[in-house]
Amino acid sequence: MLRRLRYWIESARRSEALREEMELHLAEKAAELEADGMTAERARAEARRRFGNVGLKHEESREIWITRFWSELSQDVRYGCRTMTANKAFSALAVLSLALGIGANTAIYSLMESILMRSLPVGDPESLVVLNWHSRPPKNASQQWEHVIHGVQGILWPGDKGNMVSGMFPYGAFETLREENPVFSTLFGYFNGLNRTLAVRGQAMSASTEYVTGEYFRGLAVSPAAGRLIESEDDHPGAAPVAVISFATSQNRFGGPPNAIGQSILVDNVSFTVIGVAPPEFFGVDPAAAPDLYLPLHTNVLVDGAGAARMYGDGNFYWIEMMGRLRPGVSMAQAQAVLAPRFHQWVATTATTDGERAKLPALMLNPGAAGLGNLRRKYSKPLYVLLMMAGMILAITCANIANLLLARAAARRREMAVRLSLGAGRFRVVRQLLTESVMLASLGGALGVLFAIWGVRSLTLLLSNGRENFTLHAELNWSVLGVTAALSVVCGLLFGLAPAIQSTSPDVMPALKNGRGGGPRRRAQHVLVVAQIAVSFLLLVAAGLFVRTLNKLHSVQLGYARENILLFSLNARQAGHRDPEMATFYANLRKRFESIPGVSSATLSQSSIISAGMAGGAYRGTMKIGAVTGVTIVGAGVIAAGPRFLTTMQIPILAGREIDERDQPGSPSVAVISERLARTYFGNENPLGRRVTFVDEKRDLEIVGVSANVRYGGLKEGSPMTVFTAASQFPPDRVTYALRVAGDPLTYVRSVHEVVREADSRIPVTNVFTQAAEIDRTISREITFAKLCTGFAVLALLIACVGLYGTVSYSVARQTGEIGIRMALGAQRGAVVWMVLRRVLLLAAVGLAISVPAALSASQLVKSFLFETQPNDPGTLALAGVVLLSAAILAGYAPARRASQIDPLAALRHE
Amino acid sequence: MGRKAQKNDSLPGSLDMLILRTLSRRDLHGYGIVQFIQQSSDNELLVEEGSLYPALQRLELNGWIEGVWGVTSNNRRARIYKITAAGRRQLAVETRKYAKLTLAIARVMGAE
Repeated sequence: MLRRLRYWIESARRSEALREEMELHLAEKAAELEADGMTAERARAEARRRFGNVGLKHEESREIWITRFWSELSQDVRYGCRTMTANKAFSALAVLSLALGIGANTAIYSLMESILMRSLPVGDPESLVVLNWHSRPPKNASQQWEHVIHGVQGILWPGDKGNMVSGMFPYGAFETLREENPVFSTLFGYFNGLNRTLAVRGQAMSASTEYVTGEYFRGLAVSPAAGRLIESEDDHPGAAPVAVISFATSQNRFGGPPNAIGQSILVDNVSFTVIGVAPPEFFGVDPAAAPDLYLPLHTNVLVDGAGAARMYGDGNFYWIEMMGRLRPGVSMAQAQAVLAPRFHQWVATTATTDGERAKLPALMLNPGAAGLGNLRRKYSKPLYVLLMMAGMILAITCANIANLLLARAAARRREMAVRLSLGAGRFRVVRQLLTESVMLASLGGALGVLFAIWGVRSLTLLLSNGRENFTLHAELNWSVLGVTAALSVVCGLLFGLAPAIQSTSPDVMPALKNGRGGGPRRRAQHVLVVAQIAVSFLLLVAAGLFVRTLNKLHSVQLGYARENILLFSLNARQAGHRDPEMATFYANLRKRFESIPGVSSATLSQSSIISAGMAGGAYRGTMKIGAVTGVTIVGAGVIAAGPRFLTTMQIPILAGREIDERDQPGSPSVAVISERLARTYFGNENPLGRRVTFVDEKRDLEIVGVSANVRYGGLKEGSPMTVFTAASQFPPDRVTYALRVAGDPLTYVRSVHEVVREADSRIPVTNVFTQAAEIDRTISREITFAKLCTGFAVLALLIACVGLYGTVSYSVARQTGEIGIRMALGAQRGAVVWMVLRRVLLLAAVGLAISVPAALSASQLVKSFLFETQPNDPGTLALAGVVLLSAAILAGYAPARRASQIDPLAALRHE
Repeated sequence: MGRKAQKNDSLPGSLDMLILRTLSRRDLHGYGIVQFIQQSSDNELLVEEGSLYPALQRLELNGWIEGVWGVTSNNRRARIYKITAAGRRQLAVETRKYAKLTLAIARVMGAE
């Protein structure tokens, strides 16, 4: 076989050699004949005559090594191409749907793999464990917070039975567990330093930062791309400030890892020396993030100010995250058994009341090979849902291919019979049919690769949700692609084989006689069509639910302008500005933005209104009406806003005034409250002149105005009760400016950059969005789902309609004679159309009957993705049903019409 | 000259055997093989010259003979074929088969 292959590969050269040999033969023969006395010309002719057909012999010789297999294959492929071009529409749809099915599945599965399963690119990831804790809910019976956690910097997430889970610990816990640890060879900590201003040679940019303990890189077993990594000596108070940068940063900012070593950089205006560059594939411990900068843990005191030093001594402040590397031979359960009591003992010392002691956090270890689980928690369920849908598409696609092949085999029954009766080998005919099936499948697979590549990119884009430093590290998973492609080929073979064997059965006479197919295949086709309709209905319902959810979200009353507003953020503290100069700096900038031509008003606030809930308000403690003894305000958000905030956001002022230039740091503190808040706590009284007390800060604010209701925070969980305070009196470090402009807001970005650069070139402009985009960002998952599901549903419907159309066309063709007789006996055209459509509706109805119960139970799975929409929303179900039935009728109408136009005479003669 | 070449397909596969036998005596190129067979059979066996080449390809593919580029007696470039060890074994098999067959035929003819 191997030799065959080599011969085949060398075939061109061998063919040439053979020709030369034959020519030599002819020449020698001619020479011999000439020697016997013939003329040269006659001798040559005689030599040729005796040799026989030179071309044919050449072909025969070639065939010895090219072998029949290959030549027949190329025949089959050529024939297959002809058949495919003859049935362009069918073939194109089959290939396209297959490609979409394969592509969608591969893309979604690749993404899942990179989010949910892939190991960190570090040495021996299997021995890493993440430290978490869980505890009972922090609030007691009277809804008061009572827990050893007094403060937290990071994420708490809900566990089972209302429990609270987190990966944050006080520094004391880290120190306790690190000492003489018998189960971990290394225990290291880190915390997210958020975005900092990184200045290299006077060029400022925003850089995501990770604070890491001295054991971090050793624990992860990472070796540097250049220089050295952070070690234990670098991480203690007073050590020389050093930094490790990511490989990408070294390339973008220094032109390569070696150039960065020893360079001085400014992080939030604090000087650091670059000592090393992380390897290119390293992205820290969170697959969702890729820090640009790694700093020793204790340098946060330099960057964030001396106040940060308190974090280290406070046993009730939870902020540091931990991972450990198990010693060889130690299991995670053993480690848990050793460490949990030790943590319990420590954490008990931090509790001060019985309430706190009753629900101490308990340590639990989780596998750390795939890094932190934030991304997994957030995206695994949506991805499973998407994968299920993509799987359904693939199923419909396979059914469609099967249907197409069945229909085609039936249509070609006569052709097959003719070929068989003319002496074609049965195997040969079956092989040719299979070649065609596999060709369809491979074409679909090849196109599927393109779809998959494009799909991975656009899905990453969708999930990244506009964030600049979102790095999912997702790439096409070739093994997944292989599986899906193999699946499609197997499907092609399987569904190609049955009709191929059947249609080549030795009994060719009936087929030759009438050329029309028999019963069993029709039943198979009907089953396939019903299945397609049922699955399409499921996808239609899903799409309907998600689109409805999106509509509900879009119709949420925000209470402020969505269009014509540009948002962007600045952080002057990170460039070295300090109070009180910083407030003046921000205020002056606001005036300068307002003077940009086309900007009708400019304002600032501590964050955009939509993200105020997540960014944390200006004040989070207890608020009371009037004095400290007054009524507690529940469920209101606080946002610090600059002058003209309500005007810029187009929030109507119902009474009093908005916050303006009069409100200065020295003047009496003021607040503007929303109407709902005023109604709830003041009833019909006039709230102007009354007071709101921020108990924790011991500040009284005078209510100077009432605004219309504004939805504070996100669309889903937002509250209509808002307290606006003056940004000058509650100065935030980082501010978000909002400009109300004429025309497309993004055209003003350049002017904004110029103004900021003039004011202070060290401050980068970040988070530039239009207000509309900022709002959509918070519901990106819903948008993604609505878009993808609608796409899937349309695709499924289209494929199912093609299947239906094919089946009905085929049966109409089969019944030509019957219809002819009916019409000859006086049947009206309408009756014929109805006869065909009735069958279509029957198929659709059976599909629906199967699918409605399935949809009712399956939609419960996506309940958590819906907003103000019930999973069994009757409107959506009805709409999906109507859409499906209309599509079915549309698909059936063309063949029905064709049936009604049958000429009875022609039909009967044909019979 | 006028005599019609006797077809060699009276015994299937005999051409392969003749070629192998010829090459077991000496290495030859295509035309040389034809001439040798004709001469050594006293012009009784006329090989259909064109059929020689498919046969040579088949034998080479089976690994029984091996062709290398060489030079003929009158200094022209030609593929000279050699018999291989596997070819000699095959020749032995075919010779035995041939002997059996001719013996059987002779018996039938003699029984007349």
